[in-house]
Amino acid sequence: MDSAAVGLEKAIEAIKIGVSDPERDQLHRELDQFLGWLEPALEVDTGDLEGLVFSHEAINVLREDTPRQSDLAELQEAAPNFTGGFYLVPKIME
Amino acid sequence: MKYEVVIGLEVHVELLTGCKLFCACPNRFVPEPNVNTCPVCLGFPGILPQMSREALQQALTAAVALNCKVALYSYFDRKNYFYPDMPKGYQISQYHIPLGSSGYLEIEDDRGVLKKVGIGRVHMEEDAGKLLHETAGASGGSSMVDYNRAGVPLIEIVSEPDLRSSLEARRYLEKLKSIMQYAGVSDCKMEEGSLRCDANVSLRNPGEEIFGIKTELKNMNSFRAVEKSLDHEIKRQAGILDSGEKVATQTLRWDEDRQETIVMRGKLEADDYRCFADPELAPIQLAETEVEKARHNLPEMAGERAKRFVEEYGLPEYDAGVLTASRCLADYFESCLEFFNKPKEVSNWVMGEFSAHLNNAGLEADQASFVPEDMAELLQMIDNQEISGKIAKEVLEKAFQGGKKPRRVVEEEGLLQISDQSELESIVDRIISENPDTVESYRGGKSKALGHLVGQVMKETRGKANPQLVNELLVKKIDSQ
Amino acid sequence: MELRKTTVHRVAEAVLEGEITAHQLIDKTLKNCSVLNEGLNIFNAVAGVDATEQARAIDEKIKQGGELPLAGIPITVKDDLCYGVLPTSFGSSAFSEFISPVTAAVVESLMEAGAVVIGKTNLDDMGQGSTTLTSPGGATANPWQAERTAGSAGAAAVATGICMLAVESDSGGALRQGASHCGVAGLRPTTGRVSRHGLNAHCSSFARVGITAFSCENISGVLDIISGFDERDAATAVCRKGIPEIIKTPGSEDITIGYPVTAFDFLQPELREVFEQARDDFAGLGYKIKNIDLGLLREGLQAYYIIALAEASSNHARFDGIRFGKTGEADNLENMYFQSRAEILGKEARRRSIFGTFLLSKGNYGRYYRQALKIWELIRQEFAGVLKECDLLMLPTAKNLPRQLKGEVSFLDEWSDDFFCAPVSLSGMPALTIPAGQVNRIPVGMQLVGPPFSEKTLLAVGSTSGPRDTGTL
Repeated sequence: MDSAAVGLEKAIEAIKIGVSDPERDQLHRELDQFLGWLEPALEVDTGDLEGLVFSHEAINVLREDTPRQSDLAELQEAAPNFTGGFYLVPKIME
Repeated sequence: MKYEVVIGLEVHVELLTGCKLFCACPNRFVPEPNVNTCPVCLGFPGILPQMSREALQQALTAAVALNCKVALYSYFDRKNYFYPDMPKGYQISQYHIPLGSSGYLEIEDDRGVLKKVGIGRVHMEEDAGKLLHETAGASGGSSMVDYNRAGVPLIEIVSEPDLRSSLEARRYLEKLKSIMQYAGVSDCKMEEGSLRCDANVSLRNPGEEIFGIKTELKNMNSFRAVEKSLDHEIKRQAGILDSGEKVATQTLRWDEDRQETIVMRGKLEADDYRCFADPELAPIQLAETEVEKARHNLPEMAGERAKRFVEEYGLPEYDAGVLTASRCLADYFESCLEFFNKPKEVSNWVMGEFSAHLNNAGLEADQASFVPEDMAELLQMIDNQEISGKIAKEVLEKAFQGGKKPRRVVEEEGLLQISDQSELESIVDRIISENPDTVESYRGGKSKALGHLVGQVMKETRGKANPQLVNELLVKKIDSQ
Repeated sequence: MELRKTTVHRVAEAVLEGEITAHQLIDKTLKNCSVLNEGLNIFNAVAGVDATEQARAIDEKIKQGGELPLAGIPITVKDDLCYGVLPTSFGSSAFSEFISPVTAAVVESLMEAGAVVIGKTNLDDMGQGSTTLTSPGGATANPWQAERTAGSAGAAAVATGICMLAVESDSGGALRQGASHCGVAGLRPTTGRVSRHGLNAHCSSFARVGITAFSCENISGVLDIISGFDERDAATAVCRKGIPEIIKTPGSEDITIGYPVTAFDFLQPELREVFEQARDDFAGLGYKIKNIDLGLLREGLQAYYIIALAEASSNHARFDGIRFGKTGEADNLENMYFQSRAEILGKEARRRSIFGTFLLSKGNYGRYYRQALKIWELIRQEFAGVLKECDLLMLPTAKNLPRQLKGEVSFLDEWSDDFFCAPVSLSGMPALTIPAGQVNRIPVGMQLVGPPFSEKTLLAVGSTSGPRDTGTL
């Protein structure tokens, strides 16, 4: 496997998305196309320019420290597995 | 030991805000799970984080209290990884630009010499939830997640690898705790998890420049555990090096029951958290004047307070040092003075009996039901000669454990001092007649013998007799015989 | 009342004056809705009793003298925007019954002003796309030519007269291209002008909430209602002390429109002609036309995709099957993650999250992600520079005519449709798309892009240009 292929496998593992074998093969092909498609962007001479970090110019947007409780029933109803006050996940072996 | 020990500590401290870092959920411990949760800290789609002003203020206070350089511009990044206690699939943390850097604190090294321990960074981040793994019960074969703690504001304080022994590590933690408490930003209760510590340890030959291969230690739940697990790990690494082997890069967990370290996982390569600036939050910009103000407004720290205790209350330096080691205890001491203004007496009792009971119960001064008013009441009774010091110890113990007022304990148990001369005279007379030899010795010039007689009277009255009065009566009676 | 032929202002006035009750209007709209939706696939969820009840409540408020500038106005909401009454799917089949605990700030504001939500509109897989072709429920057909995509279901709803206003999101150009393909107007506001509270953004840096309507006048009628500081969206803090509007009035002030000559070289000749005509028409209306140069469109598109995919990988990490959505049957944690996430994220969303993770990974981060941030800065500078030479500039909206519903299109071709929209997203500037003309009876839109907070100028200029000859449905 070339480095992009290795990287793709690592990415799938890291982002924890199940993909079938045909989809995986397709993703490998598509990643190559995508990286080729991005080439012109890599060739732009950006010198020692600082990249932009934020799309907005807001700074120090701060909330006052006043606690408030939320409606819990509404939130907990959305959970696929909620029992006895807890969100449940398959047993984790420590 | 033939190796030089190199230790660096990563400490997480929970801030004392009213709300969580990015939402209005209360930041306080509650036993019921998933009560302090809302769409923000549960990571519901479409809901944006809102940064807490108070958390920023406290983090800034912590940074300046640790002598850090403060970044005038900083922001939050996302540290991306999956774990069920991390609701969004990323932790919001300051990765690229920490709020504070290049700080230090001072401790005494193994030889008692003052040394500076560098602090590489102080940054803000959100806490994760908690996982419970129970086999039985309603959950069957599931693990259970409680998000009450998810989003609680933390600061992470990363030391430089400047610590050279487990004792130094412990002193560093104690000092850090004291500073955070005095700065008013955290209660730092390790047993409750408001202070958590991971350690990096390696050994090298003295004089060597490069560091040895390090291991990471986790799951140490008390200062003692930190010291012990470090000792254990240092010994283990030394053994490996002695046998000519190489230490493996590993993460180890301290097992309190087995008193040993257990390998959690080997590290093949560094984790990749793919950190990038969180686009949903605004950056933080501080003016130089705000940082200066935070430095100027820093509350009194332990050292200054000890100095003040010596100057203002005339306490010995030793007392001042013991009392101010914990902010709680120092606060307790000063509260007592508001009701009973005899500093040295208060100091004796707070440092002595009271602290002993705290230690036994594993409490901090502000958690004891024996409040400063009670201490003052007790000392006032001694002062009024209503009870003796010895009885007072008994009263304190009962009041401390039973949660009763000292005066009530005295009344209920009939512990009031006997200062009635006629009541004591008959006992004194009896003791004199029963101990002719001792009386002779006293007359022969052995002043110690009088003490023995006083003791007999005290014993007879179960300690309630006014010892001074007993003394006077004995001398008078023997002399007149 | 034919909603396409009137204005928001006139309809609201009719309701306020009692010519028609909100209840009657909404009732009629809902009936219309089911007829017109037939074959177009506009809605993920249609309001029923709740919309009628809302309309009744509005009538009641009016009786008590309530000031409701949008009394009875029917609106649709794109399904990546939360609305606590109807399900919000985010473009995932796993969320088809999910009721959000919140309602998006914009929807809240419009409802407070008297608008009534009549449905949630279709969108791409997790909101990622500008065609609806990747929607788990299938694409939305274009009302002008049913074998092509509408681009955006909200735009189709406006074009057919189902609603008067569509609340839409726009990251790489979904709102703008939808409006362009359906022959209506759409506004992507300046960064920070409109709160994004309640929007599940796949790309937070570029996602904005905007409005699609039949005319610029209708958008103008609601702009103030949806603008301004909202403590729930940090970016809006730039409007905390009021909105720093830049307003120029056509007719009484000279307005220069920048024309990026080389940009139009990327178009097919028949599309290019439409824009040349539009440019000449602007000149005929008295606007000064100035040729300008925008050199980084293609690279801007690429930088947009790098950043958008990177952010999507992180934004969509919350979809883990634990607190909401569906969870995969699994006996261990790892499998639970892989199955749940594969179920919640569709094929396009999976591709984007996986590629985004790749781009952010060690070894790729500097080469791709950091370079994209630098191009972002260059695009900012370029647009800011150009907008010093002119008051606004015109650009095509879509690079191509709307895609055919049937027929293969590669993912890169689809992404390339954002050629003229994505760089504008990077610039942070507001963009208004209005009809420019048509090719083979298919509408073609153009973007007017101005400096930050120049929306009112753009809308004023947009109004003078139309209604253009886009024919009738």
